[in-house]
Amino acid sequence: MTRTWTPLGAWAGILADGHVGTAGAPGVIALARDGLGVATLIAAEGGEAALAAALAKRPGLDLPSSPAVAHAGAHSLVWAGPGQWLLVAGHRAGFPETLAALSCLAAVSDQSDGRAVLRLSGSKIRETLAKGCMLDLHPSAFPVGMAALTAIAHIGVHLWRGDDGPDGAVFEMMVPRSLAGSFWSWFAASAAEFGCAVSVAEMTAGRG
Amino acid sequence: MSAQPFRLAGGGLIDRSQTRSFRFDGRRYEGYAGDTLASALLANGVRLVGRSFKYHRPRGILSAGPEEPNALVELRAGARREPNTRATTTELYHGLEAASQNRWPSLAFDLLSVNQLAAPALVAGFYYKTFMWPARFWEKLYEPLIRRAAGLGRAAGREDPDHYEKAFAFCDLLVIGAGPAGLSAALAAGRAGARVILCDEDFRLGGKLLNEKREIDARAASEWIADALAELGSLPDVRIMPRTTVFGVYDHGVYGAVERVSDHLPIPPAHQPRQRSWRINAKRAVLAAGAIERPIVFAGNDTPGVMLAGAVRAYLNRHGVLPGREAVIFTTGDDGWTTARDLAAAGATIAAIVDPRPDRDPALTALATRLGARVVTGIVAGATGGRALEGLTVRAASGREEALSCDLLAVSNGWNPTLHLASHQNTRPAWDDAIHAFVPSAPPAGLSVAGAAAGRLSLALALVDGARLGGEAAAACGFAPKPTPQPPRTDPEGVAHSPVWRVRGGKRAFFPRKAFVDFQNDVTDADIELAAREGFRPVEHLKRYTTLGMATDQGKTSNLAGLAIMAEQTGKTIPETGATIFRPPYTPVAIGALAGHHRARDFRPTRLSPTHRWSQDQGAVFVESGLWMRAQYYPKPGESDWLTTVNREVLAVRNGVGLCDVSTLGKIDIQGADAAEFLERVYVNGWKALPVGKARYGLMLREDGFVMDDGTTSRLAQTHFLMTTTTANAARVMQHLEFCRQVLWPTLDVRMVSVSEHWAQAAIAGPKARAVLQGVVDPRHDISNEAFPYLAARAVTVGGGVPARLFRISFSGELAYELAVPADHGDAMMRALMAAGEPHGITPYGTEALGVMRIEKGHVAGNELNGQTTARDLGLGRMVSAKKDFIGRVMAKREALVAADRPVLVGFRPVNRSERLRAGAHFVGPGRSATLENDEGFMTSVAYSPSLRHWIGLGLLRNGPARIGERVRAVDPLRDGDVEVEICPACFLDPEGARLHG
Repeated sequence: MTRTWTPLGAWAGILADGHVGTAGAPGVIALARDGLGVATLIAAEGGEAALAAALAKRPGLDLPSSPAVAHAGAHSLVWAGPGQWLLVAGHRAGFPETLAALSCLAAVSDQSDGRAVLRLSGSKIRETLAKGCMLDLHPSAFPVGMAALTAIAHIGVHLWRGDDGPDGAVFEMMVPRSLAGSFWSWFAASAAEFGCAVSVAEMTAGRG
Repeated sequence: MSAQPFRLAGGGLIDRSQTRSFRFDGRRYEGYAGDTLASALLANGVRLVGRSFKYHRPRGILSAGPEEPNALVELRAGARREPNTRATTTELYHGLEAASQNRWPSLAFDLLSVNQLAAPALVAGFYYKTFMWPARFWEKLYEPLIRRAAGLGRAAGREDPDHYEKAFAFCDLLVIGAGPAGLSAALAAGRAGARVILCDEDFRLGGKLLNEKREIDARAASEWIADALAELGSLPDVRIMPRTTVFGVYDHGVYGAVERVSDHLPIPPAHQPRQRSWRINAKRAVLAAGAIERPIVFAGNDTPGVMLAGAVRAYLNRHGVLPGREAVIFTTGDDGWTTARDLAAAGATIAAIVDPRPDRDPALTALATRLGARVVTGIVAGATGGRALEGLTVRAASGREEALSCDLLAVSNGWNPTLHLASHQNTRPAWDDAIHAFVPSAPPAGLSVAGAAAGRLSLALALVDGARLGGEAAAACGFAPKPTPQPPRTDPEGVAHSPVWRVRGGKRAFFPRKAFVDFQNDVTDADIELAAREGFRPVEHLKRYTTLGMATDQGKTSNLAGLAIMAEQTGKTIPETGATIFRPPYTPVAIGALAGHHRARDFRPTRLSPTHRWSQDQGAVFVESGLWMRAQYYPKPGESDWLTTVNREVLAVRNGVGLCDVSTLGKIDIQGADAAEFLERVYVNGWKALPVGKARYGLMLREDGFVMDDGTTSRLAQTHFLMTTTTANAARVMQHLEFCRQVLWPTLDVRMVSVSEHWAQAAIAGPKARAVLQGVVDPRHDISNEAFPYLAARAVTVGGGVPARLFRISFSGELAYELAVPADHGDAMMRALMAAGEPHGITPYGTEALGVMRIEKGHVAGNELNGQTTARDLGLGRMVSAKKDFIGRVMAKREALVAADRPVLVGFRPVNRSERLRAGAHFVGPGRSATLENDEGFMTSVAYSPSLRHWIGLGLLRNGPARIGERVRAVDPLRDGDVEVEICPACFLDPEGARLHG
């Protein structure tokens, strides 16, 4: 069967490739990451070790036991609460199979379409996030690989710090899909003084 | 240059190459970059800047800082007008517009200054005494009149066009104030490697040192400041925040601050906020806010031209402005003499130095001799002049009075530590006899106080304190402070001082001269004496009775003199009389800064369904439902009112097929070996027997036995359920379930997570629903009535392989389904259903039609699930299982909750079918009066039923089900409603449910 429906990602109609705010070299870089695979994994009582072993084998992820993120290839595993993680895949090809393989080790709930994710960087990203994020994101307080659940602009946010990129520190921000518009309203207003380059990741093929 | 007749030829921290032109009361003036509005006005010889609050007396500029009680102006114009802005802290910018306040028709000629003649009637408490009778006049007549006459500036009255922000900051050490103590503290901590934030309310850093001709290590103080700032600027973890007022100290090291990002500009640049409010989390803080000079209470002390001596030095030394040409100094300490020195150096004539202390340092006399100034050991008894100071009466120790002519009186009466923040955690300051002032005692945890703010009033002490406390703070945060270098050497300064709180007896010669304690509120020494006579002696009573210390300046220059006069009246000492506890904010903060981004549409977040765009394309009218925007109805061209539209939508569903977004329902994914057992315990009805692939309606109670929420839950697999909740209760139910799982039954193997956001869901309802779905569900799935009966719930695919879930459930009572797809496909799902339904006349419907149809069916919703109803009240008593335990079971059996005459859900229709019903109407028996004793319940929901062609209602009626067929009245006194209604079963349409199974 061929699919005939045109999907719309969480950021569709909210943002588009372009530049927000002060012209010139952007102080903030925002990449809208539509098309990710996202799922909640909740281990059964006492089942954490088996889940950890399975994830260590494939896709090679260490199960974080504190608010942190682990990466392996296109996959990340983000702590989401005691005994709870978010598995994030860079694309959805093969994601249903990955989830099916884990379903005997954890309660697996697909959340791919329910989350809106931004990858944020740039020399002024911390100054921008300080306008709403009540966590200390200074390198000494929020190192690479750290994760947190917090609220920004009255919106629940799951955030983690990825590996530093060419524009310095990289923060991933995940918000509920229904609130993506309000989150962007806050973010765009906050980043505007520094200038923000916006791009939208291509929706990749092979969605689940 | 004659354009600025009082500008000195040289000197000052202003940039004479940068002219700034501005307007005050419509007249154009010029100043320089580095001026405040106050310094620029003085440079232009403008001394009358406002009228006082009560007596409309002419007022000038008293101070050079945030304590200013008089020089309050309306800054900017139109929607940006800011009332009560202190000219002394307003940074001059090109094009600045300001207007004086509280005068009519003009500042120079103010009609309401006749209030002064009525002054005997306008004493403290006059509102309460004068406007007592008749009482009913208060609201309609007296209060509006008083409000018009009093008050200061006018609010803009229009929406603020500018943007504001809120922000969070973190540091090891917060330094409040960038004077000598603050700079030293920041340097000590910053050098040790600590994260430091240094805030100062001024646009130029250096604090009081900017106003003085001082030397540090034999160099000009300005060089020391420049070096300190350069070094701080080079430290990566030191953040310097000028134009930032720390206004409050809160629990756990949280400090509130407001940064005036664009207040020094005509309008904020693109993408810049006007102001930004900061929440600073600091492990330690050093308060280095300096001190505020005190005026002296004497007759006519509010005449424009009477100024604090320290302020005079600020205008001279920092702004290059001569505040007067012929000056008298009235000082009770050595500090005031410095003003004489600096004034003389700037070319002013010193007519006299008046100092009541007989035993002065001989060096001061020598200074006077050098300046050619006369010294009077005595006091200033009174000042004369209307709109500007003309002269003084000086009284020598012998009692002999003489008149002196002058245009400036510099008053010095010692300094009060700026300790406000230190008392924000409800600690009372302590009295210090050595400096005759209150000093901080027991400051908030983590906060230490340095220099003048701690009552240590010399430059040398400020430098030593700052370095010590900055180092200690760094050490407390785990940094090793660098060994303290030798404290810098400072030039000598005299701090000896013996205050005079007020001068009596100056009034007889000067009718109607008053002696002011609180300039902003027009509180005189006589008002305080009156308060003492009338028994308002405790400080809190004194404040409320006289208004001493209220309004925008919060008594920064007046509180102590008020206390001192009360002490004198009651024969007590000042500390025995009381002390003021200051509360946040230290200076006024704009509400906009506290709101930040969150106003208008961004006041709170908005949730949009994944089908929102489709609904918009269909012309939906949306309604706020919690944070959600839900499609309420879809008007078509030509439909004049909402009821027409809703009737069309309802009939379309009943007779054909309709389509409605239900994505906003809460969806909770529940998995685990004990998932069915878990549901048994949270719902009143049974779940273990539910087969895989089936849905069931569930009812959930709170622990107290009242109904919490309802919805359908489907068994997707043996150990996997999907629960739906109402839109409104989605978060509450999730919290409830998590509480049950984590706290009540931690041993159950059950795991749950909200998946509400992942799924877009649509209801397809009506006799033709199946036909429509068959055009969307992939053909390999058999959804015939036999293969997919009522309450079936299964995974299917749609649109050529998109994974979906199909539920055969109905809220409308029709043959109906809910189809769920991952949210990315929500928009496509609606469009595909519309296309497939086109031959069947498919009609989008909104929450209104949804509501009409559920009322026609007698289904309960939010109006009935109001937190006060039991399962039995809702007619759902049969659902409650007697074979198992569940949350709420025990408490639901309480006597009152099972009483036979409790109001129970039934239906109502008007006896006269053309009458309209109203929700909220109360039921009263025929012929009885509409009183509480006769109340038998109330109407919870009403709708116009287009199928029945009359209004129908649901309501909770005492003993309702036993009274079917009876008549009662639905009384609605708020809307003059009194409708006779017939009691009927709650289900109005298809009570057998034949349509469901079609």
